[in-house]
Amino acid sequence: MTTGGPGTTGEPAASANRFDPETKQALANLLLATADDEFVIGFWDSEWTGIAPLLEEDVAFASLAQDEIGHAQALYQLLADLEGGDPDELAFGRRPEEYRHARLLDHPRTDWAFSVARRFLYDTADAARLDALVASAHAPLAGVVAKMRREETYHLLHMHAWLERLATGGPEPRSRLVAAMERLWPDALCVLAGVEGDALLVEAGVLAEPLAAVRRRWLAGLAPELERLGLPAPPADPPAGCRGPDRSDDFRWLWEQFTMVRRSDPEAVW
Amino acid sequence: MSESRRVQDFNRHVASGGKVEATDWMPEEYRRAVGRFVEMHANSELMGVLPEREWILRAPTLKRKLALSAKVQDEVGHAQLLYRVAEDLGKPREAMLADLLAGKTKFHNVFHYPTHSWADVGIIAWLVDAAAIVAQQALRESSYAPYGRTMKKICWEESVHILHGRDVVLTMMNGTARQRALVQDALERWWGPLMQMHGPRTDPAKDRDLAWRIKNKDNETLRQEFLTVYVPRLREIGLQPPDPELRQDPDSGTWRYTEPDWKELYAVVTGHGPRSAERLEFRRLNYAETQWVRDTVLAAPLAA
Amino acid sequence: MPGQPMQVYEVFRREREGGPMQHAGNLLAPDPELASHYAREFYGRRQESVRLWIVPRAAIVDLDDPDLLQPPFDRSFKKPVGYSTEIKAKLAQARSRAGTGKAGEIQ
Repeated sequence: MTTGGPGTTGEPAASANRFDPETKQALANLLLATADDEFVIGFWDSEWTGIAPLLEEDVAFASLAQDEIGHAQALYQLLADLEGGDPDELAFGRRPEEYRHARLLDHPRTDWAFSVARRFLYDTADAARLDALVASAHAPLAGVVAKMRREETYHLLHMHAWLERLATGGPEPRSRLVAAMERLWPDALCVLAGVEGDALLVEAGVLAEPLAAVRRRWLAGLAPELERLGLPAPPADPPAGCRGPDRSDDFRWLWEQFTMVRRSDPEAVW
Repeated sequence: MSESRRVQDFNRHVASGGKVEATDWMPEEYRRAVGRFVEMHANSELMGVLPEREWILRAPTLKRKLALSAKVQDEVGHAQLLYRVAEDLGKPREAMLADLLAGKTKFHNVFHYPTHSWADVGIIAWLVDAAAIVAQQALRESSYAPYGRTMKKICWEESVHILHGRDVVLTMMNGTARQRALVQDALERWWGPLMQMHGPRTDPAKDRDLAWRIKNKDNETLRQEFLTVYVPRLREIGLQPPDPELRQDPDSGTWRYTEPDWKELYAVVTGHGPRSAERLEFRRLNYAETQWVRDTVLAAPLAA
Repeated sequence: MPGQPMQVYEVFRREREGGPMQHAGNLLAPDPELASHYAREFYGRRQESVRLWIVPRAAIVDLDDPDLLQPPFDRSFKKPVGYSTEIKAKLAQARSRAGTGKAGEIQ
């Protein structure tokens, strides 16, 4: 039995009903991947709450993490409208190997340079992804994307500010940043990879171009800044297993944490 | 004008409701008293983050995660606002953080205790924040105007926290038998610290903070206000505060209760609470780990 | 390069369209760019403002001299209260002379 999630009017399902089953599955893959990306990065970054380097920055970083959770919630809702279930069930109700976030988000928060580098890579890749979805033929998705892009303005401003400060702030911040980017680059490519059926989505007008093209556009956009700051360049291709099912021990730890209360009393409402 | 005459005029000014700004002349004693008061408050907001922080990761729904994350973010923001007020009185923020981490300055008792379950999150957000807000509302009229203005902003922001806490508790009380048992258990563990939170009865005549109207209500008044509102709210949903002596005098409206353990309070606020050492150590480690970031932003003026 | 301490920035906000900029509070930041981000956090993250001004405290020209702001001589000739009593009495007199009735109301 499929039911729309809370607050649905049936219209989103109608919009997707004109897609054939393969396209609909591809759309579900894209929504799940994107929602899981936002959900997992929201969790890692919320770990900085209370322990960020500056009190003011603590509040700023917490807002970024909250925004991602809000975006995840909206995307899980779109997925629920398509396939049934509800956002909380989707977010919290799967085994670790069933999550489809990019490998970039399998890493723990590590240190400040690592978190800044990871957020920078994620936010810029996500911006490119959102650009390719803003005119989506799936109207509910276009609506959510328009709102997300507006919120991402702040993320991009803030992360460019930190990238600049760490890259030019002296030997210590620079070396930490460079080391972080070298470790993260291969997995960062996974944000714009690993979604089966993206060609079908392009045909249906859901996605403006294939993810590989979005990835090239993203990397081309970053190149001048990376060159100016003397930061490492990306490898040519993403690694294998971009979106699971193999997940890191760190993500398994995170999963234990975020499912702990629900697993303690599966029938309960919280 | 002699110094003592100036002090007398100042005392009259604040006693009659007059306000003091950061750049006004004030007796050294007043400056120190306000500074200490605000610094302890700032420390408490900062340390208050720690008991709740780990539950941000464990929040069981998206809505709860957003709410708890926003609540804790607000506490950090309150710490920032209060450290700014204290700093404008002359003590640099770095020095205040160093003193806190070295165990030289205090923070409120409730933040020295462990959390055991999601029910603790609800009880803390509802009752601990409610007990705090009873004090904070009175502080809006502080003679030290920057503190009073900051308290107005803080009270506005805290009101949402209490609603969130009450919502969490009500949801659990309307839920499974296990959930109800968790809430009652949390209440029983937090009741002692809650009763101690406002501090022992003091002699108003000897309380300088009251005389200078840095604060305007004494400890017992605050505790009574808290009990008057919250004991009925607990009982009406089937929760039992674990004090057989707790009752309200029908004529005077005054609450009678088992005398809180003031020795426990003293031990806790001087750093011997169940989680005091661990939390300070956690803060010290994180502060040390992120020192390079502070050094970076303070060392490098950017090219325009 | 010598280290620079963080600066205090004062924040002013406009709550709704057409309203005045009002002082909201202050914060510490290493530079103006981060100061504006932090101002957004402290005075805008709950959608409570439509505009913010972020100003280094050092840039503010402060005036609080009571000799300038509260000069002692009578200034009622600059304020409505300086005229209302006089006018009330004279109006009553003029109406009575003109036979037009209503006592001391000013219209």
